[in-house]
Amino acid sequence: MATILLILHGLVTVALLGTITHQTLATCVPPKAKPYSFFGRFRAVQGVGFTNAIVVLYLISWLLGAVIYLYFKVDVQPTLERDHHWHALGFFDLKEDFTAIGLGVLPAYWSCWHQPVDGRSYQIRTALTLLLAFIVWWAFLVGHAMNDIGGFGS
Amino acid sequence: MSSSRFRRFAFAYGAAFALFYAVAHARGLALFTVYPAQGIVLLGLHRFRDVADPVLDFLAPEMYWYGWIASAAVGALVIGLIAALLPARLSWFWTWCVWVVPPVAMIACAYLTIPWFRL
Repeated sequence: MATILLILHGLVTVALLGTITHQTLATCVPPKAKPYSFFGRFRAVQGVGFTNAIVVLYLISWLLGAVIYLYFKVDVQPTLERDHHWHALGFFDLKEDFTAIGLGVLPAYWSCWHQPVDGRSYQIRTALTLLLAFIVWWAFLVGHAMNDIGGFGS
Repeated sequence: MSSSRFRRFAFAYGAAFALFYAVAHARGLALFTVYPAQGIVLLGLHRFRDVADPVLDFLAPEMYWYGWIASAAVGALVIGLIAALLPARLSWFWTWCVWVVPPVAMIACAYLTIPWFRL
């Protein structure tokens, strides 16, 4: 059961990673001319169209992560402690903290993207999008590393 | 709730959640404690080592993370509702908070994680 949930968690997070990276690049470095390169086309998207998907994917990913965390605490963490993977556990603790803070920021993020844009709200929108993107990337990389070190079935 | 009120609520909620989460983490203010091995949830903060020998800690690992989130969510909900009721001219303050507080809370959480890196 835990393995199935972990795979689902990974798949949802990959989708979330793609959408939030698209939106972040579209917000921070919008193309100035008609895009011809891959990178140009990657960032030439309407960021607002990703907002609801990002909120839903974040919530699903967080819920799956919260359930898997119970298995992790019982089945995986003791092994990591026995093998002295203290740094990995520290990074994982940060992942849990960051994703929780990201959860709290979601309503503000959603609100930012559904309001008319003026100078200040554009800055807040950019800041919150960057913050969420950082959290999602951090969570993905740390989760991936933890799975490599002592994931289920290892 | 009007769009402007919801915006104030959302901004205040985001900032307050981050602040309360960092405080709950630092001060151990968990609304409940989860014992995943036993499938038990107890109200408030409980430490297995307070009632049993610390060497037996592995028998009942406790989890506070869910309790910290619940504490932060309750506190943030109150602040969010207050912000929604306050006049719209104060919205600049909530805007400023949602920009500043979550990154500062993340730095605080990183500081609280330092002991892992000293082992």
